[in-house]
Amino acid sequence: MDSNLSHLDKLENQSIFIIREAYSQFRDVAMLWSIGKDSTALLWLVRKAFFGKMPFPVVHIDTTYKFKEIYDFRDKYTKEWDLSLIVAKNEEALGENMGPTKGKFQCCNELKTVALKQAIAKHGFKALYLGIRRDEHGIRAKERVFSPRDEDFEWDYKNQPPELWDQYKTKAAEEEHIRVHPLLGWREIDVWEYVQREKIPAVNLYFARNSKRYRSIGCATCCSPVDSEADTIDKIVEELKTSRISERSGRAQDKEDDYMMQKLRSLGYM
Amino acid sequence: MSANPRTIIIGLDGVPFGMLKAFADAGVMPCTRAIIRDGFFTPMQSSIPEVSSVAWPSIITGHNPGQHGIFGFVDMIPDSYKFRFPNFKDLKAEPFWNLCSGQAVIVNVPSTYPVRPMNGVHISGFVSIDFEKSVYPQSLLLELRKLDYRLDVDARKAHTAMDEFLQDVDKSLTARIKAHQFLWDNYDWQVFMLVFTGTDRLMHFLWDAYEDPAHKHHDFFLDHFKKIDQAIAEITAKLTAPDSLIILSDHGFEKLEKEVYVNHLLASEGFLAFEQGAEPKPVNMASATKAFALDPARLYINQKGKFQAGSVSEADKSACLADLEQLFSSLEIDGRKVIKHIYRKQDIYAGPHLNSAPDLVLLADTGFNLKGAMTSKQLAAKGPFTGKHTYPDAFLLVNNKDLTADLSENPCVTDAGKLIKSCVS
Repeated sequence: MDSNLSHLDKLENQSIFIIREAYSQFRDVAMLWSIGKDSTALLWLVRKAFFGKMPFPVVHIDTTYKFKEIYDFRDKYTKEWDLSLIVAKNEEALGENMGPTKGKFQCCNELKTVALKQAIAKHGFKALYLGIRRDEHGIRAKERVFSPRDEDFEWDYKNQPPELWDQYKTKAAEEEHIRVHPLLGWREIDVWEYVQREKIPAVNLYFARNSKRYRSIGCATCCSPVDSEADTIDKIVEELKTSRISERSGRAQDKEDDYMMQKLRSLGYM
Repeated sequence: MSANPRTIIIGLDGVPFGMLKAFADAGVMPCTRAIIRDGFFTPMQSSIPEVSSVAWPSIITGHNPGQHGIFGFVDMIPDSYKFRFPNFKDLKAEPFWNLCSGQAVIVNVPSTYPVRPMNGVHISGFVSIDFEKSVYPQSLLLELRKLDYRLDVDARKAHTAMDEFLQDVDKSLTARIKAHQFLWDNYDWQVFMLVFTGTDRLMHFLWDAYEDPAHKHHDFFLDHFKKIDQAIAEITAKLTAPDSLIILSDHGFEKLEKEVYVNHLLASEGFLAFEQGAEPKPVNMASATKAFALDPARLYINQKGKFQAGSVSEADKSACLADLEQLFSSLEIDGRKVIKHIYRKQDIYAGPHLNSAPDLVLLADTGFNLKGAMTSKQLAAKGPFTGKHTYPDAFLLVNNKDLTADLSENPCVTDAGKLIKSCVS
């Protein structure tokens, strides 16, 4: 690549290449939009890649436990950007009052994984764009840009196509769907610098109020803010240059452990 | 079906020798009675500690925890004092089905989650979390869902809605039996293992219903065992002469009089300390801590070099152990001795994983249930549970007396594991 391009230009170019490549391969595609900073930056890139238009739907997995700010932001920009929005809800589980008090593992599984499976089955998507990044979480370090999921939704990280010299394997078996990760190589600070440069709107939950801000946003019930004075994008970028706290520290982690603990407690252990 | 002799293992989680004998004698379990009459029936010692997460790994591997590496439901991560939950991936010895030349069908054995590829079928037991990681091969998921198969009962219901809990216990048993029938007929197996775990759940919450014929759930309790006996009858009817049938439990049970909080005593006697003003949680342990307990009563010396804030030097360790033994051997509640036995790790464990073993393990006297929770504000209390695990009176029942010729006088769960291994390999 041209050495005169900035770091952000290079990231942007590569992501747009991946976005176009995947679209030309699969056509029946959608992108997951959590309304957070990463998937909103991804949405921005997709619109850039297709000259201001969104050629495929965006899917919001709605657990119904999201922050009000998330819903407001979603509705505002769905309209403003003329998006075709699919709201994926597991109505059956919600009808049975599924919620985090029934166990975080079951709740996430029913309201996120199952809801997404239902949406994929209903709309027949062959590929999904996700805004995940390699530096978010240990396990994501093993991810590929084009990452197959089998019929059971399992990601077999030991059986992945190699992606050497940026050559992507974009073919998938019949029953699989491919997850496309255009932001995989971005870091948290890259996303914020891009948001800053492009003036991409961000949910106000990210900005400090009363010395707290959300650094990673999930369901209102299962994430908490971190200590911060950063109430502007510039300050967030500054903060990230020195912070040693992990991005997802405010997110409830280890859902299997949480469930395990609950099972053991119900029998009098722990 | 193969013509080779097959081995069938039926586990009845937590069922004490005395209860099985009483149910057999009283006609609640007529088929079991016939097997006892013609076979070999003995009390059996559990693992130390006497919990399913340690006992079943001993049974399926024929090894003691020093070799198989599982010492409880929970372990401490040495450099953080955070809990971790050992699972099937942490089992350091081979389960018998990996040594068996033919196919194995393994259903609901505790501490075998998540499943791994093997020759046959494996549906893991307590604590199984994600259904898809609990079933091998994955092609069985659909069939199991059709059968309304449940990995486990939801024991939380027993605290809030007993009737719902009992319904759940019953549905789980029915589904487990149906799954067994399906697998029995559709696989060409050499060894079949099926564990019933509703027994343990019932005894935790309804030991009083077992003891008291006037209790409103007494009949439910008996019916549960009757249904299990019918399932055993169905299995024995399908056996051929050379087949081996082994029925066993992993620990016994008895009436629970009082829960005793081991860490409460350690804290009040100055062995356990938390950071100033912090919640009494493992992660908040201060370096003044000399010892702490993990469920149910595994004591660890907070040794320098071993734990993050370890403070007890190698030289002071033996004095600390002696102090702890002194403390617990003299502990009395309501005028009764609480601790029946104190084991040092080298007395009960042997093998390459001795280093991860607790330094001391306490065995409670009759009626006392030892607990490792750190949050209790009192030494002893009575909670919602009416039954508790016991060490000396699990049981072993084998249809063919010849198989037990080499069995030791006082067999323990590891001996049962060796017996199973000799049958299948």
